[in-house]
Amino acid sequence: MKNKSKKTSKTSEERRESLSRLLQEQGLKIYSELDRGEFPKFSVPSRSVSNIVYDKKLRQYILGNTASIRSTRNMSQLRSFTQLIWLAFFANKLVQEKKSSTLRDIYYSSQAFSIDFEDQPESDNIIVDLEAVLARPREDLHIFPEERSSVFGDLTIEYTVPGYEGKRTNLSDHPDGYLIGPSLSSAELVDTSAELVIAIEKGGLFTRFVEEKVDKKFKAIIVDTAGQAPRSTRYLLKRLHNEMGLPVVILTDGDVYGEHIAMVIKSGSANAAHLRELTVPDAKWLGVWATDIEKYKLPTIPMTESDIKRIYDLQKDPRYQEGIWKKELEVFLKIKRKAELEAFSKYGLTNITDKYLPEKLEIAKSL
Amino acid sequence: MSSNKESFNQISPSEFFYRNRDLAGFSNPTRSLYTAVREFVENALDACDQAGILPDVYLSIKAVDDEQADPKPYILTVKDNGPGIDSKHIPLAFGTVLYGSKFGLKQARGMFGLGATMAILYGQITTNKPVEVKSSTDGQSQDEYELLLDIQKNKPIIVKHKTKEVSKRGLSVSIYLEGDYSKAGAKIRDYVYQTSLITPYATITFEDPKGEKFHQTKIVKTMPLPPTIIRPHPHGIDVETIRRMMVDSHFQIPTVDNKMIEKVRKELGLKKKNLNYSEIMEKASKRWNGISRHVRVVIAVMSFLKMDFEKLSKIRIDDMDIANKKLVYWDFGESKSVSIDLDPESEYYRQLTNTIQGETLLSFLTKRFQRIGQATAVKFTEFANLKPEKRIGTMTNQELVKLSDSLQKFEDFLSPDPSCLAPLGEEPLKKGMEQFFKPDFLEVVQRGASAYSGFPFIVEMGIAYGGEIKSVGQTVYRFANRIPLLYDEGSDVVLKVVNEIDWTRYKVKNDAPLVIVSHICSTRIPYKTVGKENVADRPEIERELRLALQFLARKLATFMSKRGQAEMEKKRANLYSKYIPLVAQFCTELAGKKKEPDYKKMLKMEAMVEE
Repeated sequence: MKNKSKKTSKTSEERRESLSRLLQEQGLKIYSELDRGEFPKFSVPSRSVSNIVYDKKLRQYILGNTASIRSTRNMSQLRSFTQLIWLAFFANKLVQEKKSSTLRDIYYSSQAFSIDFEDQPESDNIIVDLEAVLARPREDLHIFPEERSSVFGDLTIEYTVPGYEGKRTNLSDHPDGYLIGPSLSSAELVDTSAELVIAIEKGGLFTRFVEEKVDKKFKAIIVDTAGQAPRSTRYLLKRLHNEMGLPVVILTDGDVYGEHIAMVIKSGSANAAHLRELTVPDAKWLGVWATDIEKYKLPTIPMTESDIKRIYDLQKDPRYQEGIWKKELEVFLKIKRKAELEAFSKYGLTNITDKYLPEKLEIAKSL
Repeated sequence: MSSNKESFNQISPSEFFYRNRDLAGFSNPTRSLYTAVREFVENALDACDQAGILPDVYLSIKAVDDEQADPKPYILTVKDNGPGIDSKHIPLAFGTVLYGSKFGLKQARGMFGLGATMAILYGQITTNKPVEVKSSTDGQSQDEYELLLDIQKNKPIIVKHKTKEVSKRGLSVSIYLEGDYSKAGAKIRDYVYQTSLITPYATITFEDPKGEKFHQTKIVKTMPLPPTIIRPHPHGIDVETIRRMMVDSHFQIPTVDNKMIEKVRKELGLKKKNLNYSEIMEKASKRWNGISRHVRVVIAVMSFLKMDFEKLSKIRIDDMDIANKKLVYWDFGESKSVSIDLDPESEYYRQLTNTIQGETLLSFLTKRFQRIGQATAVKFTEFANLKPEKRIGTMTNQELVKLSDSLQKFEDFLSPDPSCLAPLGEEPLKKGMEQFFKPDFLEVVQRGASAYSGFPFIVEMGIAYGGEIKSVGQTVYRFANRIPLLYDEGSDVVLKVVNEIDWTRYKVKNDAPLVIVSHICSTRIPYKTVGKENVADRPEIERELRLALQFLARKLATFMSKRGQAEMEKKRANLYSKYIPLVAQFCTELAGKKKEPDYKKMLKMEAMVEE
């Protein structure tokens, strides 16, 4: 497996440059508006529920055409406008200087510029606004959330972060895996021998998979999503799929939340409907399915009321109207019981890797 | 059957008030001290008002023994710069009850001057000390009296009297009385404070038992115009009042005595001549235009009696019954009563009826009431469906009720003549409030005069907002005839009107720092209770209060919205001058430019931009 073709996505460097151009364009627009004595404004796509629609072609949630104008003409918007342009300014510096920051950093950094964010939720919200204006995820802007997931397997990357430029690393060098952080997110993907990406919901199972050499046995790159996959993880999954041409399969707990974790990797979340580069529409959910619970006679625990309510909610979602997505929800609702990935340990610690995984991978081929 | 004998003794006014002192506000040491202060201060102010002197009133309350616990004896002194009282009147004025100069019909603070003597009486009862009165009417010599009241006889006892040279005119009254300043103090201080507010043309000083001094120098140097006595206004009249007024206007049949006969002879030029009946009548008709009304009536009576002067002097006219056309007289010669018929066809009949039936309605209206001229009177009679030439003496009870009702309903009468009232006036009220509250906004209004039940009244009101007013919500100061009303505000008509107003309609928050000063002037304030602390909700008064308050509230609303705009503009300017430079700075860097855009011109235009 050589350097796979980059047919659908740009390299990190290209992305960085296009982002810089985008930011500069916004800066120039506002500059000239001010210079002409006009009130500068941004057009911010509306993220209200009524403007979030499901796009069947893209197989993800996207924002509709409604946009609101945030203008300095309106006194009540003046502050948030200033916050928005400050963030663009600040992100531009991060991108130029190849530095990363966290959501919390942003909140504190703002105080040096007398941009009065009242609390972190307010600054987080402005970050989402900027994502929507630029249609770029915050990770592109070098802004990362605190929680991070890990990756392990034969993948060679080349860093672009300052001080490490050109340095290469293979992600199978460290048995605990590599944090999917800013430097990994901005690295170029160089080479891999893997033929598959397995995303797994739980850190415990991730470690088991490494120990059991699943990477070797199945020629796989293993990704720990640590619950609901963070943006940077979904972004990496997408790149592995698009840039390296690897299929993505997902293993979750056998409950409604697990099913949805898989769905979000596949087709995104309503929260990120303004972003289009975080989905892997071809990703496949391996299990644990509701039907697997009976088939493998897994120990179960009863569902809570909120579990059941969640099933009813998801049944209204357009993405759950067909295939296994629909069927498994129905079975979950019928049996009203759930099983965790660890449940396979009842049949021995390696049961999941020795028996379950190969069987499911076989089934997945026909999905 | 019963051996129980009740004795009915006439008691003196002093005795009566002594037994009923609760009514006058002397029920306990706390209330008595407060009431005594009020009575003396109000008398001092009234005296100065009536004499047209800018009042300078000094009030002091000192404990006889500081160490003693309340209630205890105090010395209360009130000194003024008024006209003083003639030496010869002093013992009666301060040593008897019901002796006063306030029995007139015009606005004054107190009524009849009863309160001061009550205070003296109370002081004497509780301390057995005489009242000390010092008076100078000329600013040169001063009469100093020490007086006690003989309660049973309602007579003064002069304990001491001396005369002294002085340099100032005025009156000073000092009494010893039992009081409780620790409880009454707050009330008295409120009273002095508020009195100063509503009397901005007075200098008022108060020294309390602890030696603390309140001093308010006069804020304005003009006095309100003094009130005058006037005729009643038609709107405030009832049937009983009309009946009384008619008795006043009734033209009496003159007593036909020798003196009257002499007068008739003289006017007919028959002083020495004795003519017979028909000769007299002939003479009278010739001279008719030159003879007086009284004489004409006597001639008319003679025409029916068909008597000469000789005969006339021997009878007494007892009754003239116009309705039944009969005249009854007593004949002294015959010693019998005689009744004769009156011929309605006779030319003298009308003369007689005119006199007996009183004046015409038209003349009654124009002469007896204020605000009714000839034209208004004619219009009114049409409105009331009464004949203008109708003799008021012939009106039936039903017609009188109709007249009274119509007088109240007819809307074209001008407002009552307020000259019997002495409102403070807008300017002094405004200056007083300005000085007292130092507000951001101040507006006052004096409503036109109005009347309730025949009593004219005027409402004056002021509203002050913000500035040094720190209260949360409204503070209402109520005044009636320049007296502060301090207590029982719960049921007061002013509070009712204030509470009923919807402040949000006037852009005023309920907790806004607001002061409302309300002053009702009337020849009679309709107090709800004997305590004279709250005004009854007469619809006429309530209406005037409401209109006054609404007028002021609208002015306040204008101020508030202007101020709101100004604040908004200021806030705006601040926001833009803070954020626009930041926007400029960030976009300059973002665009990769060196020089910041020229945004200065924008900062100037912000204020004009619509939301």
